[in-house]
Amino acid sequence: MHVTTMSFAVEPWTQQTVIVRVGKALDFRNAADFKAACQDQVRAGVRNFVLDFSETGILDSTGLGSIFSLYRQVSPMEGQVVFAAVSRPVQVVVQLTRTYKVFRQFPTVEAAREALR
Amino acid sequence: MVATRHRFTDLARITDDAHDLFAQWAEEGAFSPLFDEDKVLLMRLAVHEWLANLVQHADFGDRKPEILLDVYPNGKRVRCVIEDNSRGFDLDLHMERRRQALDPFPDRGMGLLMLQAATEYLDYRRGDNGRHRLEFSVAADQDPWLTIPF
Repeated sequence: MHVTTMSFAVEPWTQQTVIVRVGKALDFRNAADFKAACQDQVRAGVRNFVLDFSETGILDSTGLGSIFSLYRQVSPMEGQVVFAAVSRPVQVVVQLTRTYKVFRQFPTVEAAREALR
Repeated sequence: MVATRHRFTDLARITDDAHDLFAQWAEEGAFSPLFDEDKVLLMRLAVHEWLANLVQHADFGDRKPEILLDVYPNGKRVRCVIEDNSRGFDLDLHMERRRQALDPFPDRGMGLLMLQAATEYLDYRRGDNGRHRLEFSVAADQDPWLTIPF
């Protein structure tokens, strides 16, 4: 089942891992929805999040803050947040904020899934 | 591209409209090849963060919002001026507060700092016309970064 909220969709992969198709934008307009959707997943037992940025043209400070919030939730439970198929606009934000030090990046969603298997 | 001006009045649409402009400029190859795609994206991020700040926090009182975006490409450097008719605020004070209050992996408070980090030069003041004016430039030879506590 796909849960679509604003521009993103959450796809279960295993009991503990989901793929989040971030869609066109993660910014001040939908970051609260992203946070709420991820919190629901954490409550349901999900610990690992693969964020698929292949279609993402906008990631802003509020969007990045919502990802930090998710990271703060799952990292004490040995969960992971990883980035996949990072688009160029997102890469610019990752480089500016040096968040590549925190979030592992994979060229594709499949590569991320393999690493989390 | 020569200097260009765009006027926005609808805060609900301004983010999408600004991004559409950048998409149009990308299609037209509007900027110098010396100012590469990553630098255009950095400038777009700076514009986005300021517009997001205006949409979320600016006090326009009973005035109809009017925001003007001027872009002045100049080879390896692009200057942007964003002028608005809000009541404005103390940017330096807000930046300093945000910098001091930044927790590890912060949820909020990174926007203005990201804007500052992305730009080579940044100035905000009330103009003679009573409008508030943010001016910044992004340069091709910048390697900007923002320190966020991890």
